[in-house]
Amino acid sequence: MKRREFLVSAAGAALLSTVPVGAIRAFAQSAAGVITFGQSTAVLTLDPAHGAFTGYPGGYEAALLLFDRLLDFDGDMKIVPQLAQSFAMSEDLKSCELKVRAGVTFHDGTPCDAAAIKFNIERMMNKEINTTNRPLWDPIAGADIVDETTLVIRALAPFAQLPNTLAHGSGAIVSPAAIEKSGEDGFAQNPVGAGPYMVEAFNAGQELTLKTYDGYWGEKPGAAGVVFRFIAEPATRINALTTGAVDVIDSVPVQLVGQLASNADVEVLRKPGLRPIGLAINLTRPALADVKVRKAFNLAVPVATIAEKVFFGYAKAPDSPLAFDAIGHKTVGESVFDQEQAKALLAEAGYTAGSDGLLEKDGAKLTISLYTPEGLFPGDVAVTEIVAASLKQVGVDAQITKIEKGAYWDHLRQDKANLAWDLAMFGFNPSNASGTYHLASLFKSNAADSTKPDVWNIGRYRNAEVDELLKSADSAPAEADRLEALGKAQELVWADAPYLWLQINENVSAVRKPVSGVSLMPIVFTNLRAATKA
Amino acid sequence: MIGFLAKRLATIPLVVLGVVTILFIIFKSVPGDEAAFVAGATATQAEIEAVRVQLGLDRPLIEQYVQHVSGLIVGDFGYSTTFRGNPLSHIVNRLPATLALAAAAIGLTILVGIPAGVVAATWRNRMPDYLISLTVVGLLAIPNFWLGMLLIAWLSVDLGLLPSFGASGPASLVIPTLALAARLIALVARMTRGVVIEELRKDYVRTARAKGLSKELVIRRHVLRNVMIPTITVIGLQAGYLLGGSVVIERLCAWPGIGDLLLTAVSVRDYTLVQAIVLIFVVSFLIINIAVEVIYRFINPRLRYA
Repeated sequence: MKRREFLVSAAGAALLSTVPVGAIRAFAQSAAGVITFGQSTAVLTLDPAHGAFTGYPGGYEAALLLFDRLLDFDGDMKIVPQLAQSFAMSEDLKSCELKVRAGVTFHDGTPCDAAAIKFNIERMMNKEINTTNRPLWDPIAGADIVDETTLVIRALAPFAQLPNTLAHGSGAIVSPAAIEKSGEDGFAQNPVGAGPYMVEAFNAGQELTLKTYDGYWGEKPGAAGVVFRFIAEPATRINALTTGAVDVIDSVPVQLVGQLASNADVEVLRKPGLRPIGLAINLTRPALADVKVRKAFNLAVPVATIAEKVFFGYAKAPDSPLAFDAIGHKTVGESVFDQEQAKALLAEAGYTAGSDGLLEKDGAKLTISLYTPEGLFPGDVAVTEIVAASLKQVGVDAQITKIEKGAYWDHLRQDKANLAWDLAMFGFNPSNASGTYHLASLFKSNAADSTKPDVWNIGRYRNAEVDELLKSADSAPAEADRLEALGKAQELVWADAPYLWLQINENVSAVRKPVSGVSLMPIVFTNLRAATKA
Repeated sequence: MIGFLAKRLATIPLVVLGVVTILFIIFKSVPGDEAAFVAGATATQAEIEAVRVQLGLDRPLIEQYVQHVSGLIVGDFGYSTTFRGNPLSHIVNRLPATLALAAAAIGLTILVGIPAGVVAATWRNRMPDYLISLTVVGLLAIPNFWLGMLLIAWLSVDLGLLPSFGASGPASLVIPTLALAARLIALVARMTRGVVIEELRKDYVRTARAKGLSKELVIRRHVLRNVMIPTITVIGLQAGYLLGGSVVIERLCAWPGIGDLLLTAVSVRDYTLVQAIVLIFVVSFLIINIAVEVIYRFINPRLRYA
């Protein structure tokens, strides 16, 4: 063969190989009975300890199918039994007695009994092994086996949220034998649980393939398997759903929902999240220590308009420091937009307009440094710009500083001397859905205001009454009393306005026929545990 | 040739050490607390400190550096928080996908770009030339991610011909290859056109034509050989673009290569993994450069004695 002929035929062969032989749509479709979930975040590790399931929320979504927990959240974030048949908190809230199901086995065939559960509780308590979710596990003192199916979990002090910890994703019960086999570092890539699905193949960061576990104690799942496929690009996820290559997608950008809404084969799921977005106010600044100024800020910003125009209606104005579906949420106020009243409040606080129209007091201008990350919260920069413009309308000079998202937490959690911001965007996602945990993380007084905040009280809010109420919300024996204390705490915090409350975003996922039973939990998770594919 | 190759390869370790050092300095000076990121958004200060100790970030920088370099020598890229250990096997696992995409893009470029340039030069200032030149301008102007989106919308969503994402067979390669190669094809076509036009004016072409060879034969036998040298230069120089472009295209098409892994690593702040992938990119670039020089010497004998 001459060189030319060779080249020509090689070229032809190369071209042919790129032609999709018989490439019809069917080949891109997923197999019957197997649900493919196009996730916006990759599943990287599947271990409740060692940094928990990553990436967030992708890893947790997979863990929901792979692992059973002692307790579970239902669609309304109410706590219901799972591996435990029943549970009862003791009167003093210092222990919880659980009746564990008999005959449950892990995917490796080893028994999931009281001893295995004790091993798990102690593993999560161990700070060396479990570095994350510490506020959930630190209060726990230990687990005692009463008999084969009875277990008592003890807390160091009254801990009403103990069931929330057990129902939280990090309460996933793993196989002790598998830990023994894979080692503490190897388990995250070779996870073994007792959930309805088990791992068939795991290619971290790309694809996780689950199949049904035949030995599952409960109802058989509605699909032969579930594939978690990482598709980072939103447009690609939507295309994949449109072509039928995947059955479920999460994190649909609100500006692209329209593309799916007109598709008769697709159902769009939406649910307000648990993370209220707001601007934390730096209370160490004298000007901002005045509650009138903070209230004026809240009145000056059109939150309902932001929800409507920036988020296309896929967001709501808050009515409490907690999100609507947080456990213990109580409506304690409403978001009001009234710039005249804002101006009146600022005047009451002693501010008068200078020659340039901007407010000043004793010759000092009311200049606000507004911090926002770029791309960390939904529409963060756009919302911050609206806030700055709104504040300017009432005479407050607000300057925006945009921070690269990786560095943002450092700027927020600073010791007092290095706090550069006056207002900073923040949103807290209480992963165990507990309103008490949420409020305590954000508004419980710091041990010392000069050093870095203990948890997320970055604005140095300090109200002894709120501290007291949060304590009883955590430890009052009767649930009604706990809820009442939490409700009162929400009222006080809302009235003190330590935040400029902004919107609560909705999470949007989409499901394609014939898949059904997919639910969207308030805590970002798209849950496929009850999903079926005919 | 062997002496040349040996000399070239001998420089690699030095360059790599330099790159490792620079990367180390860059990654240690980027804003953001790695420990805080790993510990998660709900972590308390005490948790962050625990993570810092666990990752060895509390030790002196020089100690971290020495450990880093000595680890690399034995193939230990460090502790990746994403994979709970040495990420090397995961990167190696992803490498074939990236190489396949780059090879397909280069292959398509040679197959389409060079003939297009020759055609445009041969029919200079006539219809084929105008069409090709217009297409070239268009392809150079279109950003690759946008072209990729259009191709997915058209070939996959509308026509249902190709998978819209992933790597589920040879057909999956088509869209990312087209998106990635478009710019290279345009560059090569434009350059080939220029070189061919220039060559056609030269004496050896006139001589060949005078002795009765057809224009077609002259181009194929004599001119094309001279066109290869600048073409390889361009493709070699664009290797960086191919690697960089693959990051964007891999993400868009959910192509399981190391570019996609790089973005994942960045999003979860896995510095070890980012550092390892960047290092692999740099080493690939070095190897491509050496390969280009070797190919030069094969094609252009004059260089062998230079």
